[in-house]
Amino acid sequence: MTREYTFPFTAVVGQEKIKRALLLNAVNPRIGGVLISGQKGTAKSTLVRGLAKLLPDMEVVELPLNVTEDRLLGTIDVEKAIASGIKSFEPGLLAEADGNILYVDEVNLLSEHIVNSLLDVAQSGVNIVEREGISHEHRSSFVLVGSMNPEEGMLSPQFLDRFGLFVEVTGEADLDDRKEIIARRLAYERSPDEFIKTYKEQDAEIAAKILGARKFFSQVEITDNIMKMAADLARQAFCQGHRADIVLVETARTMAAFAERTYISLDDLKEAAELALPHRIRQVPPYEIQEQETQETEEKTPPQQMQQPPENEESRERPDLEQTPQDSEQDLPAQQHEGRDHRGQDETAANESLQQPESSEELVEDPGKIFRVITIQTKPFERKMRKGSGKRSRTKTSSRQGRYIRYRLPQGKLKDLAFDATLRAAAMAGRGRNKDGFVRIEKSDYREKVREKRIGNTLLFVVDASGSMGANRRMKATKTAILSLLNDAYQKRDIAGLVVFRKTGAESLLGITRSVELANKKLRELPTGGKTPLPAGLALGYEILKARKVKDPDTVPVLVLVTDGRANVSLNGGDPVEEAKEIGRKIRAEGINTLVIDSEQDFITLGLAKELAEIMEAQYYKLEALQVQEIETAVRSFLQ
Amino acid sequence: MSSKKNIYPFCAIVGQEQMKKALILNVINPALGGALIRGEKGTAKSTAVRALADLLPEMKMVADCPFGCDPDDISSMCASCRQKIKAGEKLPYVFKKMRVIDLPVSATEDRVVGTLDIEHALKKGEKKFEPGILAKANRNILYVDEVNLLDDHVVDVLLDAAAMGINTVEREGVSYSHPARFILVGTMNPEEGDLRPQLLDRFGLAVDVRGEMGTENRVEVIKRRLTYENDPDAFAVSFREEQQELARRILKARDNLHQVKSSDKMLELAAKIAIELEVDGHRADITVIKTAITIAAFNGQEEVKSANLLEAAKLALPHRMRRKPFEDETLEFTKIEEIVREEGGMIA
Repeated sequence: MTREYTFPFTAVVGQEKIKRALLLNAVNPRIGGVLISGQKGTAKSTLVRGLAKLLPDMEVVELPLNVTEDRLLGTIDVEKAIASGIKSFEPGLLAEADGNILYVDEVNLLSEHIVNSLLDVAQSGVNIVEREGISHEHRSSFVLVGSMNPEEGMLSPQFLDRFGLFVEVTGEADLDDRKEIIARRLAYERSPDEFIKTYKEQDAEIAAKILGARKFFSQVEITDNIMKMAADLARQAFCQGHRADIVLVETARTMAAFAERTYISLDDLKEAAELALPHRIRQVPPYEIQEQETQETEEKTPPQQMQQPPENEESRERPDLEQTPQDSEQDLPAQQHEGRDHRGQDETAANESLQQPESSEELVEDPGKIFRVITIQTKPFERKMRKGSGKRSRTKTSSRQGRYIRYRLPQGKLKDLAFDATLRAAAMAGRGRNKDGFVRIEKSDYREKVREKRIGNTLLFVVDASGSMGANRRMKATKTAILSLLNDAYQKRDIAGLVVFRKTGAESLLGITRSVELANKKLRELPTGGKTPLPAGLALGYEILKARKVKDPDTVPVLVLVTDGRANVSLNGGDPVEEAKEIGRKIRAEGINTLVIDSEQDFITLGLAKELAEIMEAQYYKLEALQVQEIETAVRSFLQ
Repeated sequence: MSSKKNIYPFCAIVGQEQMKKALILNVINPALGGALIRGEKGTAKSTAVRALADLLPEMKMVADCPFGCDPDDISSMCASCRQKIKAGEKLPYVFKKMRVIDLPVSATEDRVVGTLDIEHALKKGEKKFEPGILAKANRNILYVDEVNLLDDHVVDVLLDAAAMGINTVEREGVSYSHPARFILVGTMNPEEGDLRPQLLDRFGLAVDVRGEMGTENRVEVIKRRLTYENDPDAFAVSFREEQQELARRILKARDNLHQVKSSDKMLELAAKIAIELEVDGHRADITVIKTAITIAAFNGQEEVKSANLLEAAKLALPHRMRRKPFEDETLEFTKIEEIVREEGGMIA
């Protein structure tokens, strides 16, 4: 079914960067597509669909999120095979996309299996099908356009790199623009026919410009100097591989063609860099290096690519938790920062004034700014099929709830018949029909569905909130780290709970809930003070997760222990440290994944956190190392 | 189980004015994008939805069309109906009531979007699309109880279809698309986890419901329920007039919807509110204005007033307040009132 009406491309107010990126790709598909990242409701899809209407010779083929492999790649033509015994290829979306635009909305939610097939073809421009008894090859060269909301998680670096250009969008902030947007939308909905007619001429003009630029393209010269500058830019942005250089040149050349200029100007290259580099800046240079280089690149590099200057206030407070540029890519516009920071200050001020008159024993520390955490994988050790929905641990699921992505020969008793694949197998066998006219299907034709689903983990945070954590703003950093982990948990569809231990015992602040937000709220309000009953905290965490495993055998339980390694309140009257180790052994025996986050920062460390981690076979991180940048910096210094 | 005749009358529902309003507005103008009802159990959510569908007169539908196409509107037809019209065929039609299609939390994706018709394939050796829940939902109300517990990938396809009005299927050997214009009504209990902001934004309106607080109202709720259960027919009769009046009002509002004017001032006000509240994107402003227009139409006005805008903001903004995934969602309503008062002059 074709859409009857499409909102015209030229009727979209503002969003010049997306428009530009799309038009450039329409002129020169070799740029390699564009990834549009940004807030919801900012005309991302509208523009892509509008572009299709405007182009005389290109279509937009949409790839739905729930596509199955057979429809993506193409497969045997069942009807023909059954009717006439001829085995022929029935093309899929990749065939349809050849010479066109392939559009994936919410591309960050696409099943990884589909992503892999897609990347394969996007890279080679050829779709090779060797499956279900057919062997077929066809050209599939398309402009890949994706849109996504970064709040829902990012793409893998390989996938990011496949997109030639990257545009970040926000809503228009100008009052008149916003007004105009509303007015046009209303007019369109009132009478789409008339509205579309109004913009026909403008759309046609753009289309003519695209065709003109395509013709002119070959006349634009690429000098050695331009190539050298592109390579320089890419190098300074720490891009991996050579795709960035090539995309830069292709984009700049297309810009020149658009302006009907025979040479590429410095401005072309600058603008191209703004579009081609942001998603490719891979590593953050260490601070010293970065400072020198900033000066060098200042004139050449557009401001977007440079690291944001550290925000004074934040960095004074916690020099150890700097923001990474990856972070800022996902971040909110400036005014939002301000708003939030103000609120943060007010709260802190209020808290301080509240706390001070009383004994200074309890303190509520406000968390800092959320950062992007490193990838923490839980062990994919289970043999058992699991069900559930989440994004951290990928698993094949035996329940019929997952997304059917492909099929296989049945293993064991057939439960989940992949009828389409079974029918194709029967058609391939060429048995025709039986006397009643039914297609003959035999046992050997049976295929079953492989469903894929990512399951979330049950994250239980066991947090030390004793007085020692309150020292040196340790709790602030700790809260920031936990909040960042929670943010990550949200994107990965985990569920979470919170246990704190301080003074004389442990307390479950929040039962296991899907509402990661509640966990966040509780955490913000958490005061610190008193002694450190570590064994009690571990014991409670153990009980909760053990019970959880019984109740919901399909989740991966993860205990996240945040501690500075002190233990000075006993659970059963024994040595607190020994008690903690004993419970640690139990936790390991129960098969609970553990993550120990060590917040100890004294020069001479007690090392108990590390010891506990070893006992529990936990992944061990220093608090500061949770941040993406730290790891990458470590790798970089290792390489040098 | 109550039979079709015995549906509890919409007008007999005590209180819950916001929810009732949100539902009525969506019926008048399905382009509003559905309603999300957040609140405790036992607050007449499901009753209200079913009652509303029952209240409306029958619609003209192409007989035997799995999507129930409107024979008079070619732009919203499925491919098959459209083809028939273009071939000069007359489409036979029937009259049917709007239905409430339930989407259970356990629904699998193939049942939601539709799949390969196995029987047809076996018998004929041909591929045919077997319509799913989204097909049934076309021109009806799609009711999702506990939408926040639905599997993410099902929510994705659901909202995609809701936004586009089209369901596109590229799976299990079939490639098919069909109209899927429906009024999406979701309910959820926020304590069991929220919807992702991305999904929240796709719901046009949102209301929070609570059990009626006043003793008097609570007594009235019980009283009516007992009377209804005692003799549903007599109960229905006692509300017949009120029901018919409401139905008339809804139909009239539908007819007048496109005639309602909204002045430049009102557009500006909507944009100002959105800027002031720092909502993401533009869906908020557009929904506020569309809702205000629909309210004006329901009131029988010819032009949108600032009071309409205020009421619309209450319905269209609570779930759109800008926040990072973990920050509290608060609607600073006094702020909106201030803007409207300053800019829009007197509130009627």
